[in-house]
Amino acid sequence: MNIRAVQNGFVGEVTGIDICKPLTSGEVAGIELGMDQYAVLTFPDQPLTDEQQVTFTANFGELEITLAGQMAKPEERRFQQLELGDISNYNGADTTRLRARDDKRRMYALANRLWHSDASFRAIGAGYTLLHARILPRKADTQFADMRAAYDALSPMEKAEVEDIVCEHSIVFSREQIGFGDYNAGHEEHLKPVPHRLVITHPKTGRKSLYLSSHIGGIVGWPVPEARAFIRDLTEHATQPQFVYSHVWRVGDMVMWDNRTVMHRATRFDDLKEVRDLRRTSIKGVGLEVKHAMAAE
Amino acid sequence: MPISVRPLHDLFVGEVSGVDLTQPLAREDVEAIENAIAKHAILVFRDQRVTDEQQLTFSRYFGELEETRGTGISKPGEQRLHPAFADVSNLDKDNTILARDNRRRLYSLGNQIWHSDSSFKPIPAAYSLLSGRVVVDQGGETEFADMRAAYDTLDDETKAETGDLICEHSLIYSRELLGFDDLTDAERATMRPVRQILTRTHPLSGRKSIYLASHIGKIIGWPVPEARAYIRDLTEHATQRQFVYTHLWRPFDLVMWDNRCTMHRVRRFDASLVRDMRRTTVAGTAPTVAQEAIAAE
Repeated sequence: MNIRAVQNGFVGEVTGIDICKPLTSGEVAGIELGMDQYAVLTFPDQPLTDEQQVTFTANFGELEITLAGQMAKPEERRFQQLELGDISNYNGADTTRLRARDDKRRMYALANRLWHSDASFRAIGAGYTLLHARILPRKADTQFADMRAAYDALSPMEKAEVEDIVCEHSIVFSREQIGFGDYNAGHEEHLKPVPHRLVITHPKTGRKSLYLSSHIGGIVGWPVPEARAFIRDLTEHATQPQFVYSHVWRVGDMVMWDNRTVMHRATRFDDLKEVRDLRRTSIKGVGLEVKHAMAAE
Repeated sequence: MPISVRPLHDLFVGEVSGVDLTQPLAREDVEAIENAIAKHAILVFRDQRVTDEQQLTFSRYFGELEETRGTGISKPGEQRLHPAFADVSNLDKDNTILARDNRRRLYSLGNQIWHSDSSFKPIPAAYSLLSGRVVVDQGGETEFADMRAAYDTLDDETKAETGDLICEHSLIYSRELLGFDDLTDAERATMRPVRQILTRTHPLSGRKSIYLASHIGKIIGWPVPEARAYIRDLTEHATQRQFVYTHLWRPFDLVMWDNRCTMHRVRRFDASLVRDMRRTTVAGTAPTVAQEAIAAE
């Protein structure tokens, strides 16, 4: 297995490994080490099936179920297995049609074009996310921003200011920003804000990073508009071109990132005409529970 | 001494010397300023210790002034300044600094988001003139972005796409961005959305520009989330660093900008310090698009 730096200290390309097959413990450890050293790893030319993606993902921890799947009615879902995220513009299980322009699922998914960290709206956000490309349009890059580098680049005064800030995250806040609020009934529990510290320390590397996300809607103890203006500014800082990598997808690419140290977003494509079909799996975050408990106090 | 203009940026912004704004101006001086702003879009006048009366006199050389009464949230009797002024300070009418959770302060935090003045009026503003009476030396900069350069650098596909789009602008939308919704029914009634074209042509320079503002909440004929995601992307393009000039305020700077081809925003500053800025606004002369359409709905 070989990891080649694509973007210095942030993105690595992994070759010389077949992730469709069961991995040795040495290979798993090598990938984990790579994830700590970089924060985004790409695995080109991996023609995974859904089962193989789930098996590969399970090497790194407990799989998370997707909120979109969880909140959707069964007939709105493409996959009944909730650990498998449908990142496509198909009309649910009906893959002969694309979602209509005003389809509710499409509206919900448009918020993925805002910079976010997966599942930061949960008490424990996602650890790794793995995204695999099956069918691609002409162009629809996924962009990644390095929240460790963004933290490091703050001035000492700014670092002191953010150090003890606790933010409130909810899926409602990110959707509100693009004017979406149409949720199926019975999911009030999933929509409630959860607290997270703004500065988190990676459990393995010890590096600090900014835990930013479009899901943030408030800062504990701050007036809401002041909090949102502050988070907007910080997000703008953290997503400057020097911290960003744009992944140009090829069919068979598997991209894996650490949500504790990376924000990401989708970019626009002609989704009413072109198919884009990717599968997402993710791992529950670990190692941040103590900090979270403190934040909740 | 004749008026001269020194460029402060590669794309726009000129610093004007050889004119005293406390004195009546000759017709040729007014014309020289009009020609300069048609070219540079932003003009900076240093060391202009104008009184409110003198600022009004100077502003009126360029057209009718907007009255701010009835557009924002200040009530008659609460205002510190003449009704032709927008009070961009953090002071109440007794010159006391607004408290952290003061409603007008939270409302005015919306000025930290890129916007164009009065784009929410059926006939939007032409020029704004901002006089820095008491400035802060940490933060509080005003940033300007050149919407002509932003238009020029769009790819052909996007130019064609934006060419016919019509947006809805309202103060309600820009305040929503920061979660400010503490508005009375009467205020909401005065903030009813208006329509503006997205690509406009400047009446004097003939240059095209993108007419963006945080006040945009909809694109006519588009689902709301799609419109908002699209406007966010365009705004990100239009406010890239190479299109931005940052004005560091010195006491008694007067900055005049053309809202028809620029956006601006204020950067965060220490709310416990006095910042007394006074704005006069020269009204535009024509709507960008027929407004009857809205009334007919």
